[in-house]
Amino acid sequence: MALDGWQPTKLIDADAEAGSFRVHRDAYRSDEVFEREKALIFNKCWLYLGHQTELKKKGDFFARRVGGRDIIFNLDKNGKVGAHYNTCTHRASKICREHSGNARTFTCPYHGWVFNSEGQLSSQNAKTGYKEGINDDGHLNLKAVERLEEYRGFWFVNFNPKAISLYDYLDDGRDAIDALMDQTEAQQVILSGEHTYSINANYKLLCENSYDGYHLFPVHASYFDYLRDQMAGTPAADLIDATIADYSSNGAVRGLGNGHAILDSYVPTGRPVAQWLPSMGASVKPEIEAKYARLVERFGEERANYIATTQKNLVIFPNLVINDILSVTVRVIEPEAKDRIRVTAWAMGPTDESEELRAMRLDNFVSFLGPAGFGSPDDIEMLEICQTAAAHTPVEWSEISKGFGPAEDHCKVTGAPDDEVQMQAYWTMWDRVMSGEVTLEVE
Amino acid sequence: MTLTRSEVEDVLFQEAEFLDSWQLMEWAEMYTEDSFYEVTSPACSDPYTADARNTLFLISDRIDRIRGRAKRLLKKTAHAEYPHSKTRHMVSNVRVVEADGDTTKVRANFAVFRTKEDNSTIYMGEAFITLLETPDGVKIQHKRCVLDINSLYNQGRLTIIL
Ligand code: FES
Ligand SMILES: [Fe+2]
Repeated sequence: MALDGWQPTKLIDADAEAGSFRVHRDAYRSDEVFEREKALIFNKCWLYLGHQTELKKKGDFFARRVGGRDIIFNLDKNGKVGAHYNTCTHRASKICREHSGNARTFTCPYHGWVFNSEGQLSSQNAKTGYKEGINDDGHLNLKAVERLEEYRGFWFVNFNPKAISLYDYLDDGRDAIDALMDQTEAQQVILSGEHTYSINANYKLLCENSYDGYHLFPVHASYFDYLRDQMAGTPAADLIDATIADYSSNGAVRGLGNGHAILDSYVPTGRPVAQWLPSMGASVKPEIEAKYARLVERFGEERANYIATTQKNLVIFPNLVINDILSVTVRVIEPEAKDRIRVTAWAMGPTDESEELRAMRLDNFVSFLGPAGFGSPDDIEMLEICQTAAAHTPVEWSEISKGFGPAEDHCKVTGAPDDEVQMQAYWTMWDRVMSGEVTLEVE
Repeated sequence: MTLTRSEVEDVLFQEAEFLDSWQLMEWAEMYTEDSFYEVTSPACSDPYTADARNTLFLISDRIDRIRGRAKRLLKKTAHAEYPHSKTRHMVSNVRVVEADGDTTKVRANFAVFRTKEDNSTIYMGEAFITLLETPDGVKIQHKRCVLDINSLYNQGRLTIIL
């Protein structure tokens, strides 16, 4: 399939009356589709760069790759967050070769041009040869990324200068981010230590997996066995099986607009904010219950319950995952090829929790999440065997129909926790952006 | 009493043998009731003194999860290790660094080769180990592995035991 002869609607085959929603497997396995996605999805959507709380002091910086582009994310000497392309305006060299650090200036290693923390060229390291005022128009300053905006400390970039605002782009996804950030009156911060790893699979397979309630018990059977062992002999011992029995009738998957969606579910892992379970031990009970009570005071019982007790798996289209579950993880998926991704994940937690609860939050994280946990590696294995099977068999379509039916807008539908309407929302948006039906630009 | 280098090596080589032969429950039995098995995150700025109570590690197991890890990995539903990968644990440069009563602190270099399907990867680094002499023989009280990598980009995941 050549790019020129591209038929944009061919990859999604949806028949609401028949309850059939199919995705052509070329969407995962074709180089042409991937090239098209780089141009249409990753050059038009808002992409996650980093969190405000990672930049603790003026001069702090991180070198990140976002949507295939190398970017320096920093806090300049005036306390302003910046995002500049990591390339020298002289003859292209990379300016910043460290993963992170603190710097007042960036000196290019090649010929010694110096840029200040705001990206302005401050020295060309040359006594002769340059006309006075050669940079009066600023074209030799580090190139700032076209757009940089934040919502509640989550900084995103957009490579399209005409893009709609991040605020509008996030749509109802804002409410999900609010539910996370409102957990505390202090600050939710990114904790030290990150997980970076790779997966030999298409980025959309990990998005689908991240809020897939349907896969939970088959894929994570061995994790639930472990939880059962941990809870044996406690009053919570029966909770696992009760949860499995009730799973599909408790909670929902919800499209949040613009391809974002969330899985709200109930799994008895306990939540540092704020659901205590006997498996967490009596010593943290008062603190967790006090957090819950404070949420009720601030937001009323219904919202407090949603914030405190619902396990939330959020995907912000096209490649950011925020899991607010037994621990909080912010996970960004950097696509490198149709069948390869780099994943970076961080833990997040509030500054006003006790050392003991912080320790429990991190312990929860590594028990299930990350490349060495008891959960995520089994997900990764599934994604890799899906990718390789799709690539090496002639079967053309994947069936993502569970819960599909007529709706006014398939980007904003609701279904049962083990339905696939969140993925239908994702793919509907994907199709709209790929076909040009949605430009995500201000008129 | 201070363990000699060769006594320490006997313990570490036994551990390696259990792991390479997938005798994981026997491996878990080498750990004391108050033990820790830890692997710091490659992104950790100071992996030697870092504390899993306030920094995200890759692995931070007390004895219940050491046993849980062994038990889980032996199941067919531990999909990431099914079919089991082949591993080879190399332990070298063993140094006894400190001894106090029944406790001996050890440093050792390691390289663990893992083959899954047709792909082989290496996990290399240094292990910081505390051994305890008990009536049941020498046991492992603490093992912290610090990997010489900047991310798991090449390895993908860490589903075997180092
Ligand atoms: S390329 Fe940077 S100073 Fe020449
Ligand atoms: Fe999963």
